[in-house]
Amino acid sequence: MLLIRIAEEEIAALYLKNKIMSFVHFYVGQEAVAVGVSDNLHLEDRAMGNHRSHGHYLAKGGNLRAMICELLGKEKGSSHGKGGSMHMIDKAVNFTGSTPILGSIVPLAAGSAFEQKYHRRDSITAVYFGDGASEEGVVYEVLNLAALFGLPILFVIENNLYSVNSKLRDRRSADYSVEKIVSGLGVKYLKANGNDYEDVHAQAGTLIKSIRAGHGPSLLECITFRHMAHSAPIMDDAQGYREEDVLEKRLQEDPIKKVKTKLLSQGIKEEELAVLEKEIRAQVSSDIQFAISAPYPAKESLYTDLYA
Amino acid sequence: MPEPRILKYTDALREATDQVMEQDANVFVMGLGVSYSKGADGTTAGLKQKYPDRVFDVPVSENGFTGMAVGAAIQGLHPIVHHGRVEFALLAMDPILTQAAKWNYMFGGGNPVPIVFRINIGRQWGNGPQHTQALYSLFGNVPGLKVVIPSTPRMAKGLLVSAVRDNNPVVLLEPRWLFQITEIVPQEIYTIPLDKARVVRKGSDITIVSYGDGLIASLEAVDLLEKEGVHVELVDLVSINPIDWETVFTSVNRTGRLMCVDTTNEAFNVGSEIIAKVAQSPTIALKEKPISLATPNVPCPTSTVLTELYYPTSVSIANKVLTLFGKSSIERSLSFEELHLAPTVMIG
Repeated sequence: MLLIRIAEEEIAALYLKNKIMSFVHFYVGQEAVAVGVSDNLHLEDRAMGNHRSHGHYLAKGGNLRAMICELLGKEKGSSHGKGGSMHMIDKAVNFTGSTPILGSIVPLAAGSAFEQKYHRRDSITAVYFGDGASEEGVVYEVLNLAALFGLPILFVIENNLYSVNSKLRDRRSADYSVEKIVSGLGVKYLKANGNDYEDVHAQAGTLIKSIRAGHGPSLLECITFRHMAHSAPIMDDAQGYREEDVLEKRLQEDPIKKVKTKLLSQGIKEEELAVLEKEIRAQVSSDIQFAISAPYPAKESLYTDLYA
Repeated sequence: MPEPRILKYTDALREATDQVMEQDANVFVMGLGVSYSKGADGTTAGLKQKYPDRVFDVPVSENGFTGMAVGAAIQGLHPIVHHGRVEFALLAMDPILTQAAKWNYMFGGGNPVPIVFRINIGRQWGNGPQHTQALYSLFGNVPGLKVVIPSTPRMAKGLLVSAVRDNNPVVLLEPRWLFQITEIVPQEIYTIPLDKARVVRKGSDITIVSYGDGLIASLEAVDLLEKEGVHVELVDLVSINPIDWETVFTSVNRTGRLMCVDTTNEAFNVGSEIIAKVAQSPTIALKEKPISLATPNVPCPTSTVLTELYYPTSVSIANKVLTLFGKSSIERSLSFEELHLAPTVMIG
């Protein structure tokens, strides 16, 4: 979690220095979701994400250096500079892709689970998407398909209360119930506090156990706070759209602060955590320095990889 | 030597599917009604019985099941997705155009999406504005797809086999108008290159470039023109993405005249692209202005009184050419059947 947070902080700083020409959506504040889910996944399990997937990628074990290179458009990036921030992939750890068109990753992830079922694999697929994406028609279609085919897939909705800045109440009737919709389609549903690592970890664990036992798809809805703006390296409270999740509340509910408090209560010393943080920051800085000095892709590569 | 077998277009597609499924356990078929006894206009008939776990009927959720098949292809399966009309495939444009077509490129290579989208397309009597769109150019405009249009049963079988063996997303646009035509088709499995146009008739006076059902109408026009002393070279594009420019340029270079026949709306059609590239070629000197023949820029209506005016016919194609050569037009009225019913001709 701390790695994701520090990496995002450093990338935000880099972004403000104008080094990054790849559209970036920061994950700060939502770390408990990716880490809480991923800590229940095995290496051979697959995960897929969306436009806001730095956290999903790193939580699955994705290579930080390749990610930063990709953000900077460098040859050593995970997609050799052709994808950028919205297209995270590291197949070595089975983070098998992320796509930014809202909801588009959901059928692709179902296809991954379809392949796992087709080849009778023991592994499962987890897919992350937001509350905005969950309103796309294709998501309803895929929930039905996944239940119909009994696919080994965990759908994770990260409900951060906004689609860009549009509030839930401007998009859904007062009677809208994710639980009823999902259950009605035959998919098991649980809700978790997405600002709380332990709760996400426990609820995801329950659902993943059910999926591994062959009981078909499940959906975990995590209520969480997006600390920063939709797609800029800044806090955006000045825009005035936030109601519940004002800055004070976000800091109070910060998932990393909560984990830290818990660790301290378990006897881990403040200094030990400081050392850990320093080490992580050094690693991130070193990867950023590497990426800054890494070469850009050859110009001819514009025309390569159109076909496999 | 075995007796030559004559197959219908749809039976050739069925045979190709059966044979690739027999060879490769990763191939599966998915689409609305593909498990019916005469599923997908007969092109999947009997396959559910033979491969019970690899033929999937699906809910009416084009975006969902097409995207799911793309996701399965990303993981190494080889889906054949069937859409009975292009208008239904339009509900699945995100997985086809934005996901499958970009996947390998946007992840910097090494990420193949081996999938075949079989999409029925174009004219059929009584089907009107929302069941007959000939949206060929739409797929030609998207890099990363391979787009082929089988014009005969033999082409249909060989192209489908090649499409399934390819490691990329291949769109097979199958003109519904051609489903009843027949041809001698080899029984054994064979392939036809996905990226090569073919010269169907040799000729020296003018090159006609066409594809799909436009090609079949052009083939009849070529016979009419031969009797009038005009020798046409007829090129079947086969692929519109990518286009085999070498074959087109070589032919036009030889004849010095070009006509393109499309059964799609005249704006932004395939012929426009051919004419634009030929016009820009520094090595081709056309003797006459190129001609494009296509359907008018209105939706295809339903009444036969109106559709009679809509599509290019063998006679309208031939007369365009005759005008170019300063010859008088052929006076021949086509029968109701010739104008409005799908052809049942045997090719070759």
